[in-house]
Order: sequence, then C-alpha cells, then structure tokens
Amino acid sequence: MKQELYRKLVAYIVENQEKFYRLAFSYVKNQEDALDVVQSAVCKALEHYGELKNEAALKTWFYRIVLHESIILYNKRKREILTQESEWVEQSYEEKGFEIHDDLYARIDRMEEDAQKIIKLRFFEELTLEEIARVLEMNVNTVKAKLYRGLKALKTAEGEEDETWTV
Amino acid sequence: MDRMTEAKREYLNIPIPQALSKRVMLEVERAEKRRRFSLIKKRIVSAAAAVVILFVAGLNTSEVFAGEMNDIPVIGTLAKIFTIRSYETETEEYRISVDIPSVAMIEEDLGDLEKEVNEDIYAFCEQYAGEAEGRALEYRQAFLDTGGTKEEWAEHEVTVKVWYEVKAQTDRYLSLIVKGTESWVSAYSEERYYNLDMETGKWVTLRDILGDDYARIARQSILSQIEQRQAKDGMEYWADKWTGIDDNTKFYMNQDQNPVIILEKYAVAPGGAGQLEFEIDLAAFAKELLRHGGKVEKSH
Repeated sequence: MKQELYRKLVAYIVENQEKFYRLAFSYVKNQEDALDVVQSAVCKALEHYGELKNEAALKTWFYRIVLHESIILYNKRKREILTQESEWVEQSYEEKGFEIHDDLYARIDRMEEDAQKIIKLRFFEELTLEEIARVLEMNVNTVKAKLYRGLKALKTAEGEEDETWTV
Repeated sequence: MDRMTEAKREYLNIPIPQALSKRVMLEVERAEKRRRFSLIKKRIVSAAAAVVILFVAGLNTSEVFAGEMNDIPVIGTLAKIFTIRSYETETEEYRISVDIPSVAMIEEDLGDLEKEVNEDIYAFCEQYAGEAEGRALEYRQAFLDTGGTKEEWAEHEVTVKVWYEVKAQTDRYLSLIVKGTESWVSAYSEERYYNLDMETGKWVTLRDILGDDYARIARQSILSQIEQRQAKDGMEYWADKWTGIDDNTKFYMNQDQNPVIILEKYAVAPGGAGQLEFEIDLAAFAKELLRHGGKVEKSH
C-alpha cells in the first residue's frame, strides 16, 4: 500500500516538476536557487512520504513543501541582501530589468506572504479554495477572506505606485 | 480580471531550465537508494528485536549469535538471509543446536511471500526441534530401562541439529534448504527446500523452469546421467524401477540457475548410495532442443 503511494508521489512530482519550478522561481527569482528549492522539496517529500496519509492529500501536501522551501530560501537571500550595502540592493533590483515596474505580476510579488501564496495558487496554479486551505493549513473562510482582501488591495492600488500593497 | 491573465502569462513564461528534470531524477534515485537501505535496516532491527525477546524468554544462547548478526550474507541485491534465532543447549540428556534462518526481501511487493516463507521455516524448525527433543528423551528412557547407566548415556553423542544451507543466491533465485537431523538415528532427518523467484515473488516449481513437459525432460536427463554414472563408477542403479518425478519431487536451484533434482534414498539405487542429486543443465537442454528441431526424443 505504502509502496503504491510512494510510486504515485514520484510520478506526480516528475509530471508536475515545471509547475513547482515556476512557483519556486516566483519567490527566489533565479534559476540556481529555484532548482535548489525543487530539489530539496523532492528530497524532503520522498524522505517523509510516510507522513502522507493518502493519495487525495498528495497534491496539496507537496505544494506545501515547495512553498515552505521557497520561502525559506527567499528569506535567507533577503537577509543576505539586507546585510550588504545598499548599492548592491539597487543593483539587484535593476537586474530584474524586463519586469515592468508596476504590472500586476510585480505587485503580487510584493504582497504580504499569505495573500501572495493564495493569489499565486488560485490564479497561477489554479488550485481550488479548498485545496489552498489544505496547502496553507487554514480554514477555507480564512483563505477566502484573505483572498478578497488581497484582490481589493490590488485593485484599489492601481495607479498608485507608492502605496504599500500589504493587506 | 484581464490584468490577472496577463500576470499569469508572465508567470507561465518563467523559462524552465534543462537541468530541472535531471535534478529531480537525481533526487528520486537518491531517495530510492536510501529507501532500499532503510528497508533492510528496519527488517534487521525488527529481527534483532525478536531475538531479544527470545533471550528474555530464557533460552540458552550462544556467543556465536552476536557474531552471526554482524556477518549477514548478502544475496544478490534482492534478498538477505540471516539467522533469526540461534541457540545451543546442553543437558545431561542431550545436546541441541538450532539455527533458524529468516529471509529478508528488499522488494516490498514480495512481502506476502516473505512472510509465508519465514513463517513456514520457523514452524518447521520449531516443530522439528521439539519432536527431536522428545525422541531424544524417549531414547534415553529406553536406554536406561534396558539396563544402560547414566554414565554410559553421557558417552553417547546425542545431538539434535537444525540448520540451513543456501544453495543459490542470484538476482533471480533464492534457494535454501532447511535441515533437521538427529545424531543417533537417520530415519527422522528432514529437509525442506525453499525455492523463490525474486522477480515474480513466487515459489519456483519445476514446471516454471522446464515447462509443462518437465517430468519427461527431467526423466530423460536423469536417465542419461545414470547411464554415465553407472559406466563410470560401476554402481548398481535401478533405473527401470524408477517411477519418475512429479510436482512433489524435491529440488533446489544452484548458483548456475540450473535446477538440481533430489532423488530420495532407494528411489534409483540401493540405500547405501543415499540420496542422489541430478543437475538439469538448462543450456545443454536448449541446445538439444535446437538440434532436434524443437523436439526432444522420447525416452524409453
């Protein structure tokens, strides 16, 4: 039984690896770090597959791991940047270059952590609200409330560049 | 929400590096190795735990045991055999030494077979040791009743032995014989053959190896081997009295992956010859098949 679940987990990961990579990249913003995130997520999932209860939980369980790994590395890099000179920070902003400064994608990127996760999972990864609730281990109503608040903030902030997007 | 569609497009445009699938597969393979290793470890640990319980149960254990656990023979990459229980007891009545093997298969899918085999081996060993002990005590009683003294009895080497022999340990087959013998009488000796196909997770039968026509094929090979042996050592064989083999005929797989058929004492030769073994050379058999255009000559 466990063997079967393990095989399904491996198959699921291999089939959807590009999705996980994109999600990781949307946080860490560079190829090497995104690859590291995916690799360590795969490693952790396969090592702890015993914690996976059933096949139905597979997708949301693995998304949770990918998000967790992404945020860990993202925060680590952010701390590294903060400890360096401000000049370097500016440079790294410019490196993003091709991103239009005020497009929605960039603004989502600056949203508060939960709202950002919810919007990415809902609109980019097309998970249902119930799935998102399981990924984030939150109540569905909480997810809904955070999503609506986040979207409202994105809308009202349109054209007001210097506004903070945190909801 | 149009802007959201745009944002999604931007997200989906994140380029996928070629290295991604390599890195994922690398991790999958690593995990596979770790998993195989931990499965073996888990089984050895649980076997060791079982042994500890037996220690507590007050069995007379030997130091040999500790050594044996560190010296577990590896069978291919698919199975391990180890002594799950080993003890020696020496009383003034008799001496008994028991080594009970256990098979650990690495492929989890073979779980049912593994359980079945181990339970069977364990039951066989326990039963044999128990019965042999009973027979030893009966023998002693008879000895004393007929005027023998305890001192005279002590000079007898009355030993019950239960042990095993691994015959094949290839990637494909695991073949072992579990034996029980008594030093004072051979009539009660017992052997049990365990032939396992590691690929299918099933017991191996002669039919699996030689096909539906296995009885005739084996008979023909054995008869020609008897002829050769007769010419060589001049021993008397009773080939014409022999009824041939069937589903219950004992055999094991050898390291060359050929079946070796066991003919019981008296089956084809006088008792003095004991039990005889005949290897069926599968490569030679295949050649024979080709030479006769797919048909092997009927034996007389």
